[in-house]
Amino acid sequence: MPLQSSAGPIPEPAVAADQPAPLSRRSVLRGAAGAGAVGLAAASGITAVTGLTRHDTPASADAAAVAADALGGPVMVYLRDASTGEMEVFAGTGQATLRNPALVRELLRAIK
Amino acid sequence: MSSHREAPEISKDPVADSTDLYAFVSPDQPDTLTLIANYIPLQGPAGGPNFYSFGDDVLYEIHIAVNGSTRPDITYQFRFRTELRNPDTFLYNTGPITALDSPNWNNRQFYTVTRTAYGKSDVIGSGLACPPCNIGPLSTPNYAALASSAVHKIAGGIKVFAGQRAEGFYVDLGAVFDLADLRPFENLHAQYGLNVFTGPAAGVNATAHLNVHSIALQVPLSDVLPRAAHGKESDLGAVLGVWTTASRQRARVWDAVTDSYVSSGPWHQVSRLGNPLFNEVLVGLGSKDLWNALPPSDDKRFAAGVAHPELAALLPALYPGVFPNLAKLVAAGTARADLEAILLTGIPSGIIPGFQNYTGAVQADMLRLNTAIPPSKSPNILGVVGGDLAGYPNGRRVFDDVVTIELRAIAGVTVPLVDKSFTPDAAASAVTDGLTASSVPSGYLNSFPYLGVPYSGFTTPSS
Repeated sequence: MPLQSSAGPIPEPAVAADQPAPLSRRSVLRGAAGAGAVGLAAASGITAVTGLTRHDTPASADAAAVAADALGGPVMVYLRDASTGEMEVFAGTGQATLRNPALVRELLRAIK
Repeated sequence: MSSHREAPEISKDPVADSTDLYAFVSPDQPDTLTLIANYIPLQGPAGGPNFYSFGDDVLYEIHIAVNGSTRPDITYQFRFRTELRNPDTFLYNTGPITALDSPNWNNRQFYTVTRTAYGKSDVIGSGLACPPCNIGPLSTPNYAALASSAVHKIAGGIKVFAGQRAEGFYVDLGAVFDLADLRPFENLHAQYGLNVFTGPAAGVNATAHLNVHSIALQVPLSDVLPRAAHGKESDLGAVLGVWTTASRQRARVWDAVTDSYVSSGPWHQVSRLGNPLFNEVLVGLGSKDLWNALPPSDDKRFAAGVAHPELAALLPALYPGVFPNLAKLVAAGTARADLEAILLTGIPSGIIPGFQNYTGAVQADMLRLNTAIPPSKSPNILGVVGGDLAGYPNGRRVFDDVVTIELRAIAGVTVPLVDKSFTPDAAASAVTDGLTASSVPSGYLNSFPYLGVPYSGFTTPSS
């Protein structure tokens, strides 16, 4: 269908799973623009962010597009499976799936 | 119903719930195609102060597949935007609304139309005003004229309208959902031994006095017909496949700061409609929302429900002795190739003289309209089974009696199209829920947007 996209295979996280996730929106967006990974800040309360790579567009174009989306509208994260660290991130009309157990642990600590 | 509240999830989301789809060669403008997709079912006309409106967060689409395709070659997209003039009043309007730009109208809605054809998208209309809902003689005096002013002529000879209309689909819901009671024959119903019906009764139109929201488009046929030959009834290129969808972004959160929902992510289809009653009657309850999320080209996975419809087995069981030949057909496990043709592939040439609406072997639920068949001068609400080749299932007109047509088809009246040795039961050509187009109190219009003036809240009790 037009305008409909789906997540590709679960990508490797751009931030190594064992490293602490960056926590500021500014650093995430800066990192995204520089590395081709995309930083996303959740708009509603959750400020923890991580880098991720979308599979539906080339990484270099991807960073700018999703960063612009992130600035222009809400970004939402759906923790699909805490046991595997699998998350879906929504921004604009885009979506990315990532697996980052370290970030999940941090998110869960934050909402306790 | 046709597709009102037909699936568990979409029944909770009325603004995205498609109810009926119409596609026909315009009788008063036969060089144009009229497409109407209805949403927001069963509107009680007095439902204020927040009267009905389209979803600003819903992507509404009408798709057309051409030249034997079952994929969307041409799509018209509609996006809505609501403007609240004064957030400090509780009123929808603060005085009579006599024009679409009336300062008395507090809660207005506008929309944009985008046409996507063969991968190229163009905005063909924007800032188009919807009419208000029909409230009553003080708030919306001369409603018919006010609504007419919301028929917009946009570039390319296209007319568009989006707003409230009277429900044109007629059906005896109260009876048919009471274990397939058909009031004109209810004395023949098995009644589970309860013996509550002693004689036949007249049908009751459950949708009378209810409104819907229509997205209506009238486009030159030349805008949608393919380069392939399409001028003759027998031309593959003359047949268009049509369906409507509504989509929502995948993520939605209640924003406690703005006190509203915010959405994000890719569009995900949540509602679909081609043939009336397809998802309603032929798809199991556990698969209906999945069906809504899929494109027509995936409908092969639902073909068993068409080939062996549950209702065909219920009719002989619920009306003992009335459908003996249908009972034998069901008992033999005969696949209903007639229904598969009507609903999933279109009817090929050579079966009904002067008619075909075949789109190829791919099974897909679409309204299939042969545009080379001119509008009927004397329409029959039973369409093709009534000898009127310009009616359903050749597209669908606003007044077609799709409930009776599909009841009779499922009861076996169309089996001889594929098996001349089969004799339909006498009841198959008589079965009906007892309603006709005259069961619609508002009637229909002779011109675009064809569906009648909506019932006003003042004159119609809340349902």
